[in-house]
Amino acid sequence: MSEGQRFEARVLPHLDAAHNLARWLLRDAAAAEDAAQEAALRAFRYFASLREGEDAKPWFLGIVRNTCYTQLARQMGRAEITGLDEGDWDELAGAADTPEPVQVLHEQRERSAVDAALRALTPPLREVIVLRELEDLDYRSIALIAGVPVGTVMSRLSRARAKLKELLTLAGLP
Amino acid sequence: MNDDELSRLLREHASRHPASERLHAAVRTQTALQSAARERKPSAAPSRVGAIGSVKAWLRRHLGAGAVPVGSGRLGWIGTGGVLAGLMLGVALTLAVQSWQARPAELADDIVAGHVRALQVGPLFEVSSSSHHQVRPWFQGRLDYAPPVLDNLPGFALLGGRVQSLRGKPTAVLAYQAGLHKIDLFVWPAERGAAPERLQRRGFNIVHWSDGAMQYWAVSDMEGGELERFGAQWRAGAG
Repeated sequence: MSEGQRFEARVLPHLDAAHNLARWLLRDAAAAEDAAQEAALRAFRYFASLREGEDAKPWFLGIVRNTCYTQLARQMGRAEITGLDEGDWDELAGAADTPEPVQVLHEQRERSAVDAALRALTPPLREVIVLRELEDLDYRSIALIAGVPVGTVMSRLSRARAKLKELLTLAGLP
Repeated sequence: MNDDELSRLLREHASRHPASERLHAAVRTQTALQSAARERKPSAAPSRVGAIGSVKAWLRRHLGAGAVPVGSGRLGWIGTGGVLAGLMLGVALTLAVQSWQARPAELADDIVAGHVRALQVGPLFEVSSSSHHQVRPWFQGRLDYAPPVLDNLPGFALLGGRVQSLRGKPTAVLAYQAGLHKIDLFVWPAERGAAPERLQRRGFNIVHWSDGAMQYWAVSDMEGGELERFGAQWRAGAG
């Protein structure tokens, strides 16, 4: 099996998850496609760093996440995202949000409320929810992807949940 | 609302965004191109870093991978390793010499073949635009370099661009039109600057030059002098 075939077999099954994460982080359809494709290119280059038997999903999503954060940093006019503390994200919130087409009338009330609440979170909080609830990853994998300790993942999840409950209750759910 | 209720709401109602068919296809193509490029590296490398350096690098790469013990004992691989090293050195030297001698001529053949293929079976361009504002960003993420794109060459209209595999490497190609003639301009990073040179292959004319950062190979069935004028205008426009 060539390296390309092994890459296809191990990494590309997670392309849907990669695109989902990019779409939720960047909130823009075209930017998410570009980021997922660029991440796949990088992943192929660093494929040797994925060990035999290691789960490829968190490994690949970590690359996707870094690609997206580089993109977000560019939007904010920063060269590096690492120096940002969580408060800095507030200035980005709203600024880069691409408005969704107005299908709200035909869609379920739950979907639009849940999506809006998720979009209202800052990226560090949004990513832990997307990875935990939509991608069903465990704390250790999420910590690996976000590059933070497990304790930080847990505290972010708890803050994200509190914020989501508040927003969803305001929207009249459940 | 407790955590379980929140979790149920999120899992049932949050939008999921799977990758589109287009993205799946683009990534598979990209992987195939990169994979092919990597497998050809041993024979393509010598012209980049010089024969001796690349033979060393090539051996290091291949012996490095072979040196991982695969169930056999340590003594086993020292023996086979020695034999392998001898064999590989022979092969690597042959490859290095061959690719050194054959490269410019083969490259011209490959470029004409790529041009003919695009004219016959297409696509001549995957992004169709006469504006560099559209064409240049399109290459982003498809290549590991950013080719310059000019859309203001008098007498030569930009049709668009594509990525085509050239000697196993994904390469930027810009398509131009002048009268009834199509021109393909292959662009990729250069090792050093080079003066313009004109070649002929199977009735096609080729003009190639390098500005030190990129090298350019223009190919067309148009008259050689006209194609040189295209090259001259490009260099004037890029300067």
